[in-house]
Amino acid sequence: MKKNILLLITAAIIFSSCDKKDDAITETLDIPGKVTVNFDAVFGTSDFALNTNFTSGTKTYNFDKFRYWVSNIVLIKANGEEVSVPKSCYLLEETSAVAVQEGAYTYPANKRESVELTNIAAGDYKGIKFGIGVEQKYNDNLSLTIGELSQLNGMTNVSWMWHTSYIFTAVGGKVTEGTTNKTIKVETGLNANYKTVSLSFPQNVKIGSSKATAINLKADVGMALDGIDVITTPTVGAAQATTMTAVANNYNTKVFSVVSVN
Amino acid sequence: MTKVTAYTLCLALLLLVSSCKKEETNLMVDDEKYHLALPNNMPAWVDDVDNPLTKSGVALGRLLFYDKRLSGNNQLSCASCHQPQLAFSDGVALNDTGVSKQQLHRHTPTIFNLLWANSGLFWDGGSTNLESQAFGPLTSSDEMAQNLYELEAELKAVPKYRELFEKAFNNGITSANVVKALAQFQRTLISAGSRYDKFKRNEGITLSEMELQGLKLVEEKCKSCHQGELFTDNKFHNNGIDISFSDDVEGIYQGRFRVTFNPQDLGAFKTPTLRNIMLTAPYMHDGRFKTIDEVLGHYSSGIKPSATVDKHLFQNNGTLGIPLTTTEKVAIKAFLNTLTDQELINNKTVSDPNG
Repeated sequence: MKKNILLLITAAIIFSSCDKKDDAITETLDIPGKVTVNFDAVFGTSDFALNTNFTSGTKTYNFDKFRYWVSNIVLIKANGEEVSVPKSCYLLEETSAVAVQEGAYTYPANKRESVELTNIAAGDYKGIKFGIGVEQKYNDNLSLTIGELSQLNGMTNVSWMWHTSYIFTAVGGKVTEGTTNKTIKVETGLNANYKTVSLSFPQNVKIGSSKATAINLKADVGMALDGIDVITTPTVGAAQATTMTAVANNYNTKVFSVVSVN
Repeated sequence: MTKVTAYTLCLALLLLVSSCKKEETNLMVDDEKYHLALPNNMPAWVDDVDNPLTKSGVALGRLLFYDKRLSGNNQLSCASCHQPQLAFSDGVALNDTGVSKQQLHRHTPTIFNLLWANSGLFWDGGSTNLESQAFGPLTSSDEMAQNLYELEAELKAVPKYRELFEKAFNNGITSANVVKALAQFQRTLISAGSRYDKFKRNEGITLSEMELQGLKLVEEKCKSCHQGELFTDNKFHNNGIDISFSDDVEGIYQGRFRVTFNPQDLGAFKTPTLRNIMLTAPYMHDGRFKTIDEVLGHYSSGIKPSATVDKHLFQNNGTLGIPLTTTEKVAIKAFLNTLTDQELINNKTVSDPNG
């Protein structure tokens, strides 16, 4: 008899698997869902595109690069509970081919504006937070990797390698004002410039297995350069510390906004 | 043991194994820990949590360190510029043997006792750790100019590397694991076997009157920067070799300022160790002084004033300079010779494994 009881217990343990699927048969709403976060690049009111003229005031821009790391995504439930997305580190970009390591090899032209998050706890959500750049632990050690983080995609060029840090954001191209033409290369990096963007949705959105959820953001390249005189400072990098911090602050508060959630 | 007890045990085991929590994959595979034997006059150290020393990791790092496959043209290894017989320095002011043949802007530093270098690598400390540091020379076109994808492919073609990488790291041959192995090997390059060390440890070595006088002078006049048994504080100082610090070449002449943007750090460079100094001429971050006499001449009568010049250099009744008589210079040189570590430069466990 004792033996039978033990057998029963064993069976119970084996079948009460950790997988939530069993419970969910009765409560479909609790099954984690999929969320697509779209980062639509724009310049002011126009859709962003490479090799296209955009005018802002007296300046005309023509871009060949807009790239940035999005990391540590956190979705915020209606009740304020924060749901972190593990290992979230993504390279968002619209770029022409990038010569990596001074041309040793080429990172191909690429456009990537969306990130798919899976296994997100079901519920009503009111907002999203994400870092722009790479958090200190990984930024301080180029041999550690997480998500899509890699030193092989031209977001750690040689001059940055002399100062351990990833390039957090990069805007490249040309600017014309009157008869002046400049090549612009506006980058951010360094731990102090790792910023967390916090956005509220216009209304709560449901995440769960019953529907695919989309969070539609826009990323305004024009706002990344807001307040920066790119004619006098066409190159922004570690050596232009003050300007670089101003650009990082733009990414923190001005570049990203929510268009819709559905 | 009764049947029931045995069964209960099995059950407990089953419960343990069928735990809900997914175990994190251990980055370090089951490999024997490398035990670093440190003489008792050297400071304590703590192993790197993300890249702990293992026997196979260190052995792999040693192979890689001496392997010319690490450069784009397969003609240079790390040891081309960090030569063991010169205490892992290169003997020239500014090296121009990199793949591009362009002269570098900075003098090759020594790379021993780096397990204690916890305030950054390079003359300005720009690199946070040895792992990250290696990507600099590996990829720079003026140094090894290696395409990191190509490097992985080249190493994968070598059975010995496939075996060692698998043993040392759970994800095999990646450029990240290349720099991790190199860092592990470098952390085993310890210099603590000089005559001075044996004197300090009472291992039957005596120093001459002259050497002892030199030791006393160094302690009085140099130790504020060349501190402790490492003979460096691993910090950054402007030692008065320049008056101005141009921001050319991405601030490379500005020293630590390039990293911190703190005006106090303008022209401050990392204190090099005095250990093995007689093997590592020329001197300074750009190798401008050919001999130790020039260096002593600089400190005694050549220091240039600037807003950030280090306060420890005002040793001449409140004015700049560290006055030294000819006899004192001779004594200091005699002492510096006792810091030469024959054990390090002849150490067969860190030399070229194919040499």
